[in-house]
Amino acid sequence: MKILVPTKRVPDTDQKITATADGSGVASDHLPFVVNPFDAIALEEGVRIVEKLGDDSEVVAVGIGEADYVQQLRTALAMGSTRAICIECDQPLDPWNVARLLKEIVLREQPDLVLMGKQAVDDDANQTGQFLAALLDWPQATFASRVELLAGEIRVDRETDHGIETLRLPLPAVVTTDLRLSEPRYASMAGIMKAKKKPLDMIPLAELGVALEPRVEVLRYHSSETVRRGERLRSVDELVERLRQDVGAQA
Amino acid sequence: MQSADVIVIGAGVAGLSTAMQLALRGASVIVLERERIGNGSTGRAAGLLGQLRGNVEHTRMLIDGIEIVRQLEKTTGTEIFVQTGSLRVAETPERAAEIASLVAMGKSIGFDIEHLPASEVAKKLPYMRTDDLLDACYCPTDGHLQPAELVSGYLKVGKDCGVQYKTNSPVIEILHAGGRVQGVRTAEGEYHAPKVVNAGGPWSYLNAELANATLPTAAIGHYYLTTRPDPNHPVDRMSPAIRDRELRLYTRPESGGLIVGIYDAEPDQHNMRKLPVDFDMSRMKAARDSIQVARLLEATNARFPWIDERTPMTITTGIMTFTPDARPFCGEMPDLEGLYHCAGFSGHGIVQSPTIGLIMSQLILDGQSSYDCESIEADRYFELPGYMTRADIERRCFEMAGNYYTKIEKATPVATGHA
Repeated sequence: MKILVPTKRVPDTDQKITATADGSGVASDHLPFVVNPFDAIALEEGVRIVEKLGDDSEVVAVGIGEADYVQQLRTALAMGSTRAICIECDQPLDPWNVARLLKEIVLREQPDLVLMGKQAVDDDANQTGQFLAALLDWPQATFASRVELLAGEIRVDRETDHGIETLRLPLPAVVTTDLRLSEPRYASMAGIMKAKKKPLDMIPLAELGVALEPRVEVLRYHSSETVRRGERLRSVDELVERLRQDVGAQA
Repeated sequence: MQSADVIVIGAGVAGLSTAMQLALRGASVIVLERERIGNGSTGRAAGLLGQLRGNVEHTRMLIDGIEIVRQLEKTTGTEIFVQTGSLRVAETPERAAEIASLVAMGKSIGFDIEHLPASEVAKKLPYMRTDDLLDACYCPTDGHLQPAELVSGYLKVGKDCGVQYKTNSPVIEILHAGGRVQGVRTAEGEYHAPKVVNAGGPWSYLNAELANATLPTAAIGHYYLTTRPDPNHPVDRMSPAIRDRELRLYTRPESGGLIVGIYDAEPDQHNMRKLPVDFDMSRMKAARDSIQVARLLEATNARFPWIDERTPMTITTGIMTFTPDARPFCGEMPDLEGLYHCAGFSGHGIVQSPTIGLIMSQLILDGQSSYDCESIEADRYFELPGYMTRADIERRCFEMAGNYYTKIEKATPVATGHA
């Protein structure tokens, strides 16, 4: 069993995020970067599947970016990935081009399963997994909250507004992860020590033979302004009266 | 421009308790907080209260602090002190000897402490590994203070006594002339007072630098985990706190799970000057491959084999303020009259704060305290070679933090002590 986990390096969105003064991007000088949390969930689930199988199965973490991505891929290795691949690319990519690059890695690696976050928390696009499945003409299941491997197929629970939908997909397939699928671990001492010796292959973008075709143009980043309109009322009665008025005004 | 009798810099437990005690004595007090109330080290603390310390006066301060907390509980109607009892375990002969000396010291001052055989420990704490234990001791009157409730208590009483609290108000200048403090300046303007308290926690050394003073404190990273409730390993909310100094661990129950913290051998150090101006400690996060967390997990697994890297948990990390001897600095220094330091609690700020606030109010209003403050005097390293540069101070504080749990304590029984 080979599980490919594409990851994205994103700013930790629990920090205060602001746009740069010229609107060209996010001011990231003070921001710590992390593996996209949904991808970390995919890594955890992949590692758990492999730990359970206990054979020579492997989890291959993939990243697309510059040299500083190596740090996040080492994190993925410390969490239990078997090896990692970094596509060296210094250009900003939209989901379509990310999917096209990932397709080349999938064709090289021939995994049984691609497990990845349903979206990255920086741009919230929620497209790459779907594009990748379409480009490969593989079955896909998005927003997985539970997965179960069966012989040659995978059963996936998806959380939808109507309840839990269960799909059965023949492998190979693309599955994107939702929040409740698993809880990413903090690496153990053994995990951190082993990660130093695990293979991390750098692949230059040119080697993949993909001509990038940007389809999304970012015009401007700007910080959203949160206006907190609060008022201190003197009593519960006053609050109830106020709520009544506000509801009346909206009705 | 505003005036008060005392200005307190920092709204963590140290500043809040000091402000409350001052106001209870009728002083007018303004508390200036750089960010939010109780959101620094106070907001990250586990709050363990172990009363028995190697130093009898410190034990007395902790015992008296519980009385102050009981009073706060009556005023606010909330539980602050959770008296779970505490357990200290020994897995080596040296640790067993340490426990023996602690029990002897405790008994000599009439403190409720008993040896507990490993078989009894296993009965009390089914979720802990006990087969390697040589000895243990149990203090039924220990427990932990709930930091958020303690903050609320200090605030309520403080507000009732007229303390003014100003948040998002970093102090940018300490005003002084002729060797005397005159007040402080924030972005909004000047605040005048003849007495200023530096209760800045990890920022305390920067506050001191505003007055050209050297306060030998350093900012040290700290980590603990909190497991989620696990039906296979229930942790009763009144389970005793556990200290395993050999493994550098402390634990206490929390919402059906267990808090396990570590005094790491190589903690991370922070340069407070390099942090962003609007740094918010509650947003600090451990990396998934943090070496400190990995060591915490390893030590935790040795004592609680059911906890490993797969266990659902949250990791809390924050910054502690250490001093070269792990004791706080409370009081003035010779070069500037009216600037009172109150910082460097080295991981014990929550539990020391009730009595420290009282001591600070005595020092400020009476010029002396009813407690023997020799071991916590602010000037004990004043102009002492080896404690004057940031590099020296940080190295010494870092060493103290790294050895904090592993040094063997020698408690001496006292013939005549405070009961």
